[in-house]
Amino acid sequence: MSVTDPAAGLDVLIVEDEALLALELSFIVREAGCNDVGHAMDSQEALSLASTLHPDLALVDVHLSDGPTGVDVARAIVEECQAVALFMTANVKRLPEDFAGACGVIGKPYSDKAVRAALVYLAGCLHTGRASGLPPVGLQLAPAYAERWGLGAAPLAS
Amino acid sequence: MDDAVGEFSEHLLNEANARNAALLHEVDHRVKNNLQLIASLLVLQSRREDDPAVREALATILGRVNAVAVVHRRLFQDNPLSFDVAAFLRDLVEDRGGGQVVLRIDAEDAAVPTASAAPLALAVNELLTNAVKHAFADGAGSIQVTLAKENGRLRIGIADDGVGLPVNHVDGFGLGIVRLLCRQLKAEFEMSSAYPGVHAVLTLPQSVQESAS
Repeated sequence: MSVTDPAAGLDVLIVEDEALLALELSFIVREAGCNDVGHAMDSQEALSLASTLHPDLALVDVHLSDGPTGVDVARAIVEECQAVALFMTANVKRLPEDFAGACGVIGKPYSDKAVRAALVYLAGCLHTGRASGLPPVGLQLAPAYAERWGLGAAPLAS
Repeated sequence: MDDAVGEFSEHLLNEANARNAALLHEVDHRVKNNLQLIASLLVLQSRREDDPAVREALATILGRVNAVAVVHRRLFQDNPLSFDVAAFLRDLVEDRGGGQVVLRIDAEDAAVPTASAAPLALAVNELLTNAVKHAFADGAGSIQVTLAKENGRLRIGIADDGVGLPVNHVDGFGLGIVRLLCRQLKAEFEMSSAYPGVHAVLTLPQSVQESAS
């Protein structure tokens, strides 16, 4: 688990059914100092990769190639693989109130810069157990994680 | 009999409404995803280019696409008919900051109708990009973005503390875009040397903001 070793960088699994978005995300993941360990396009592939690769963080789109299965994927990855999930979706409003156990969401369309900033920020939160400050624009934390990382109630997404 | 007819038409109406809502949601989702796809294609191509001039051209287009993308991310968030200009400016400023240029923002709450959102976003994006690109001889400096309501009009200012306008200043493509969009928005646009730097001001007429907020 590289969470304990900041220099090693987070192992990140990309769960995204748009091939070009996944490719671009893999670049961003590496630029943010993380490791791109795998890429899944549907829920089954996501769960099998998560259980074999043990990622620290899974970037999860809500709509995958087998339908709107991303929410269940995130919940299973969090509960069964002890990974942290982060949603990346155009449907921020349709996420369940508890974020299915995920740490937050980046709304689409995002900029590459915003995703890099979010990954660097989350890597810091996961290494130290505390937030270094408010999340960067574009990243909205789940209430449970905002509290866990010392931000009290979730900061309002402006 | 009448009751049965009434119930049946209500049922049809509800069904039609649900279908429309689902359709609107689907279109919104598609627009956001496709904008994401366009932005990612530009970044992917840029990564493969060695020529700095080509990379810069792609980065400029990416900036414009991202400005429209931010608009779509923010549309339909609260009031479906108005667009929160202050929140948009904060997003844009945060997205452009982080380098050697310090960006500051001082924005009053203000909104415009959604139809004005994309042209306004593109115009502000051009002015901010211009300032970052041309204002500072050594690449470092600061830019102040302001949004204020004045006599019922909306005033957006972008002021840098850089080198000022060149003596024989001629509009580039970016400023050409700004002037065209201002005509579309019925907005006034002024840009002048402010010693130090350049001060650009967009003033939107009342008609653009009255139906919002």
